Amino acid sequence: MNLRVVGASLVVSIKSFYRNKTTMFFTTTFPILLILVFGTIFMDQDKLKFNLCVQDLDQTETSAEIPKALALSGKFTIIRVDPAVDAAQYAKDNKVNLVLVIPKGYESAYTQYLQFDNLNAFVTITYVYDPSSSSVTTKMQILNMIFAKMNQGLSAKPPFVRTAEVSIHTKKYRFIEFFIPGIIAMAVMTASLFGTVNVNTELRQKGIVRKLSTTPITRTDWLLSNIFYQFLLAVISTTAMLLVSYAVFDVKLQINAWLPLFIVLDVFTFVGIGMILTRIVKEAQSAADAANAIIFPMMFLSGSFFPIEMMPNFLQTFAKTLPLYYINEGLRASMVFQDNVTALSYSAIIGAFATVVFVLGITATRWEESK
Amino acid sequence: MTKEAEYAIKVEKLTKRYGDLLAVNDISFNVRKGEVFALLGPNGAGKTTTVEIIETFRRPTSGIVRLLGMDVTKEKRDIVSRIGVLPQGFSSFDRITVRETMQFYSRLFCCRNTDIDGLIDLVNLKDKAKEQYMRLSGGLKQRLGIAIALVNDPEVVFLDEPTTGLDPRARREVWKVLLGLKQKGKTVFLTTHYMEEAELLADTVAIIFKGKIIAMDSPMQLIESNADYLILTLQSVDEKAFDVFEKMGFEPVLDNHKNLNVRVERTDDIRKILNGMKDAGVPFLSMQVRKPSLEQVFLKLTGEMLHEGAFRRKGAE
Repeated sequence: MNLRVVGASLVVSIKSFYRNKTTMFFTTTFPILLILVFGTIFMDQDKLKFNLCVQDLDQTETSAEIPKALALSGKFTIIRVDPAVDAAQYAKDNKVNLVLVIPKGYESAYTQYLQFDNLNAFVTITYVYDPSSSSVTTKMQILNMIFAKMNQGLSAKPPFVRTAEVSIHTKKYRFIEFFIPGIIAMAVMTASLFGTVNVNTELRQKGIVRKLSTTPITRTDWLLSNIFYQFLLAVISTTAMLLVSYAVFDVKLQINAWLPLFIVLDVFTFVGIGMILTRIVKEAQSAADAANAIIFPMMFLSGSFFPIEMMPNFLQTFAKTLPLYYINEGLRASMVFQDNVTALSYSAIIGAFATVVFVLGITATRWEESK
Repeated sequence: MTKEAEYAIKVEKLTKRYGDLLAVNDISFNVRKGEVFALLGPNGAGKTTTVEIIETFRRPTSGIVRLLGMDVTKEKRDIVSRIGVLPQGFSSFDRITVRETMQFYSRLFCCRNTDIDGLIDLVNLKDKAKEQYMRLSGGLKQRLGIAIALVNDPEVVFLDEPTTGLDPRARREVWKVLLGLKQKGKTVFLTTHYMEEAELLADTVAIIFKGKIIAMDSPMQLIESNADYLILTLQSVDEKAFDVFEKMGFEPVLDNHKNLNVRVERTDDIRKILNGMKDAGVPFLSMQVRKPSLEQVFLKLTGEMLHEGAFRRKGAE
C-alpha cells in the first residue's frame, strides 16, 4: 500500500463529492429528512388521539355520559352526529371510517340493569365502520377496552385478573430511539453500495480505469482510498443524523466505540459487495439496478424501519440471513440497550461477512484486461 | 550503442486472438529510441490491441514484446513508471480542474519534482488551469491527456488515436503539441488512422491492415517505393473535362473539394493533358502536380480507401 497514492485518490474523491450537489444531498440531507419525517410521525405515538363520530339515538342524560366517558379517556375527540341521519350514509358522505351508534332505549335498559338487577337487560352499541381503513381496527380495540372497563365497573366487583408491566430494559425507550440506529445503518449501506457501484462503473465506462491502469496505483490502493472515502462520508452523515436527532427529538442514545466499529463494518461490507457488482455488471444503469435489487429487500426486511417480529416467520428467518440485520441489531444493542454481549456477537458475524466480501471485492477488481 | 540498447520497443511475432477473431497476426517491428513511430491503419486493423499489449494492459496470445528491455508480460510494475499513456478515448474526473488532475497523476507516480506549470504551458492550457475537466472542449481534453502522459517524464510516450473525434482546428492544435514532443526527442508511439497525421509527425510509419503489418518505412520512403507516379490536380474544371481525360486514356476522379485528380505515369503525360484541355476549350482555375500521399500508398497496398470520400471516382458521386 502506498499512502501517498491512497491520499491522492482520496483527495480527488472528496473534491468530486463536494462539487456534486446531488450526491451531497443524497448523502447528508436525505437521511436527515427521513429521520425528521419518521420521527415526527412516531414522536407522540403514546399521546395518539383519534376523531370519533358518535350518534346518540337515545338522546337522554344517561346516554350522554358515554361520549363524555370516551372523551375523558384522552384517546378520542368526539364529533356528534345528528340522530336523524343514516349512520352508514353519514360515514360514506363525510369519509369517516367509524360511527359509534348508541341505540334508542339505552337509558331504560341501563335503569333495568342497575336499579332492578335485571341481568337480562343489555344494550348493543354499534360500530358502523369502513373495513378498508387501516386505523379503524385500532379505534375499535380502544373502544372495546373502554367498554370492557365500563361493564366491569357496573358489576361493582373489583377485577380478579390484573396485569402489570415489567420492562426488560432499565429505561423506557421511544420509537425514535429504535429507529435512528436503523437509519444510520441503512444510510451508510446505501451510500457505500451506490457510491462504489456508481463511481466505479462510471470510471470504467469513461475509460478512467483504463488510464489508471497505466500508472503505479494498485487495485488495493484504489480500494482502500474508496473505503476511506466512504468511511468519511459515513462519519459526516452519521454525525449530521445524530445532531438532528438530539436537537429535534431529544433522543437518549449511547454513543461509544461500537458506533464507529459498526460503521466501518457497514462500509467494508457494502463497498465489497459494490466491487463485486461492478465486476459482474458492465453498464452504469444495470449496475444501479443491481444495487437497488440488493438495497431494497435489505432496507425493508432487515429491520431498519420496523422490528422484524412484525413479519411472518419465514421472512424473519430470511431477515437473519441479511448482513444489514446484524448491523441494525448490533447498533441497537450498543446505542439503545447497552448490551455489549449482543453487540460483540453481531460485530463478529458481520466482521466475518465483511472480510469475505471485501476479499472477493479485491479479487473481482481488475486493472488490466485478463483476456 | 548495441542494437538492443538502441530500441525502445521490440515486438517479435506478436499474435492476439479474441476467440475466433485474429486481431493481431504474427507482427514484428522495432521502435528506435527518440523516434516517432506511427502505427497507421483503419478502425479494427489491430492498432489499439497492439499498443495495449505493449502498454501491459492486455496479454498477448503469443510472441515476445520488450519495452525498454523489459518483458511486458512480467515486469508491469517497472514498466508503468517509465512510460506515459494517452489511451484511446481518454477521459478524466469531471469535477476536478486541469491543475488538480495534473497534481493527482503526478502523485500517483510519486513524482515530487514534476513541473506542472511547465507541462500545462507545453499543451497551451495555462488559461484553463482552474477549469474543471467537464467544462473543457474535446481538443482541450486531449491536450490535458497528453500533459498527463508526461507527468512522470516518461521514456516512451504512447498516444492512441490522439486526434480522433476532434475538429480540424483542434486536431492541428494537438499536432502542434506533438511536434513539440518530437523536438524534445521523446520516443513516441502513435496510433492513428489519419494519413496526414502520420505523414506530418512520424519518422517511421507501419501500416497495419487486418492484423498484419503490410509496410513499414519512413513516410517519404513508403511513398517513393509504393507510388512511382504523380498526381495532377486541376481546380474548378468543367464537366467536359471528364470526357477529354477519358478520350486520352486517363481515369479522372473528383475529390471532396471538387478538384479533378488524375494519375500520370510520366511527365510527358502532363503536356499531353494540357494540350488536350486547350484543344477542347476546357477552362480551369489552377493546376498542381505532386507526389502521391500515404493515402494513395494505402490504396495501392490494400485496394481499399482509409477514409470514405477521400479520393472518389467519378461514377461514385
